[in-house]
Amino acid sequence: MDTARNTHAIRIEGARKTYGRNGGVAAVSGVSLTMGRGSIHGLLGPNGAGKTTTLKMLLGLVTPSGGEFEILGEPSGPAVRARVGFLPEQPYFSPLLTAGELLMLHGRLSGMRASEVSSRSAQLLADVGLEGKADTRLAAFSRGMLQRAGIAQALIAAPEVVVLDEPASGLDPVGQRDVRDIMMRLAEQGTSVLLSSHRLSEVEAVCDEVTILNHGTVAAEGRIDDLLNVAGRTSVRTRGAAPALPAEIQSLMEDVAVSGNVWVFSVPESAVRAVVDVLDDHDWVIESVVPKRQSLEEYFARMLDRSREGAEAEGGLS
Amino acid sequence: MSRIVAVARAVVADAIRRRIVWVVALFSLVLAAVIPALPSYGVGVADAVYREIALAMTYVAAIVVALVLSVARIPGEIERRTLYTLLTRDVRRWEYVCGTWAGIAFTLAVAVLVFGTIVFAVGWVVYGAPMWQLWQGALAIWMQAAIVAALAVAVSTVTIPVIVAVGSLAFLFIAQVRADLLGGPGHPLWNLYPSLDTFNIIAPVAHGAGVPLAYVATMAFAFLAWTAALLTFGALGFSRRDL
Repeated sequence: MDTARNTHAIRIEGARKTYGRNGGVAAVSGVSLTMGRGSIHGLLGPNGAGKTTTLKMLLGLVTPSGGEFEILGEPSGPAVRARVGFLPEQPYFSPLLTAGELLMLHGRLSGMRASEVSSRSAQLLADVGLEGKADTRLAAFSRGMLQRAGIAQALIAAPEVVVLDEPASGLDPVGQRDVRDIMMRLAEQGTSVLLSSHRLSEVEAVCDEVTILNHGTVAAEGRIDDLLNVAGRTSVRTRGAAPALPAEIQSLMEDVAVSGNVWVFSVPESAVRAVVDVLDDHDWVIESVVPKRQSLEEYFARMLDRSREGAEAEGGLS
Repeated sequence: MSRIVAVARAVVADAIRRRIVWVVALFSLVLAAVIPALPSYGVGVADAVYREIALAMTYVAAIVVALVLSVARIPGEIERRTLYTLLTRDVRRWEYVCGTWAGIAFTLAVAVLVFGTIVFAVGWVVYGAPMWQLWQGALAIWMQAAIVAALAVAVSTVTIPVIVAVGSLAFLFIAQVRADLLGGPGHPLWNLYPSLDTFNIIAPVAHGAGVPLAYVATMAFAFLAWTAALLTFGALGFSRRDL
C-alpha cells in the first residue's frame, strides 16, 4: 500500500469545500485525483468548476471541509511543500522587488542557501527568457515577463512537483511555446507537473492524463488518448484530382471535411481496408489512416452540453 | 528562523523603496533641523524644549511610518495574491506574520536611528553638549511604533485596511488616556487597561536626565509582552483564513 502511495506525486481523495453556514454552498464536492510521478496531468473545467479551490486546498491556502491531500506520499503540509513549486493564475509580485530578490525570497523560503539561490537564479532566468533581468524591478516587467518570473520562482528550488495554474496566460505565442517546452523538459527530468488550464490545445499537447471538473465534481478523467479516441472509427486523409470521392464509399463516410483537393473523413474501423482499396483503385493518394480522435475542445463542449441537458432534465422533472 | 528572516528581508527591501517613507523621513528631518530656529525659547530651557519637540517629531514620524508600512501590508498581499507563492512554500502562517512584523520593526528601527542621530547631532552642535538621554526617548518611541505595527499587522490578518487604520489610531488614542479616563492607580481596571504609558518618557528625557536602566528593562519587558500577545492574536487569526 505504502509503495503504491509513494508512486504518486499527488493524491487527492474526496476533496470537499463548502462556504457558508448550514451546509452552505459546495464549491468542491468529492473530487479525487491521482497523479503519477514524472507525468503531466491536466486539470480542466469551466469557470467555477472548482479547479482553483481544489489546488488551493492541496497547497494549504484554503482549509478543506473534507478529504485527504497527499503530495509525494506525505500529507500535504508545509514540510512537503518545500518540494513543490506553484505558479498561481496571473501571478503578481511586489513591484518594488527585483527579479533576483524575488527568487532569493522564494529560494530562502524553500530552505536553500543564499549562495545556492544566486548560482541557480541566472540560469533559471535565462531558461524562462529573462536573461540579464535579475536586477530589474518587477515594476518594469510586462504581464508576460511577470508570468515568466512567476515560472522561475516556481522552479527555483528544483521542485519534484510543479503546480501551474494557467501558465500561458498573458504570454504571446512564442512565450506559450516556451512554457510548453519547459513543461516537457520538466517531465523528461522526472518532475511531475499538474497543469490547470483553460487552453485545451495546450493541455492536449502536453498532458498524459486529464481530470475534468464541472460544478465542483469530477466529470471525466483518464488518459487523453482514451478520452479523445472515438471508439470504432478511423480517420482517413486522402488527396485526389477528382471532384468527388468514389461513390462506393460515400455511404460509409462521416465527418467529411474538404480543403482544396484534400479530403478528411471517418469510416467504421471494419471498413478501413475496403475503403483504402477503393481509393487506391481510383488513383487517390492516401495521406494518413489513423484512429479517429476528437479534439479536446469537442470533447469538452459535448461534455458540458450533456451536463447542461442533464441539469435541465432534472429541473423539468422536479 | 531563517524563513522569518527571509520574509523580513523582503519586507525591508520593499519598505525602503516606498516613496512615502522617504517623504515622511525627509520632512521630519528638515523639521528637526530647524527646531532650534523656532521663536519663544525661554532662557535656560531652550535645550529642554528642543528635546521635547524633537522627540514629539520623531514619535509622529515613527507612528506614520509604522502605519504606512503595516496597515495594508497583509491585506494588499492577499488582494494581489502575492501571498500565494509564499505560503505554498515551507512556511507556516505564523512565520509569515512574525516575519512581516520583524521587517517593519527593523525598518522602523533604522528610521528612528536616523532621526535620533540627526536630532542628537543638531542638539550637540547647537547647545554644545551631547544629549545622551535622547536615545532613551528614541528607544521608547521605537517600541511604541513597533507595538502599533504589531497591532496593525495582527488586525490586518482578519480585516480590511480601513478598519485596521481606524482601529490602530483608536488604539493609540485609548492607550494614551488611561489617567484621564480612570483617574489613577486606585481604579480597579487600572492594571487591565491597554495603556502605553510605560513608554511615555518624554518628560524625564526632555526635562531631566532620562530614566534609570531598570526602567528601560521594564519598558523592554512590556514591549515583549505587547508584541508577543499581538502577534499571537495575528497568527491565530491568520491560521485558518481562506485565501
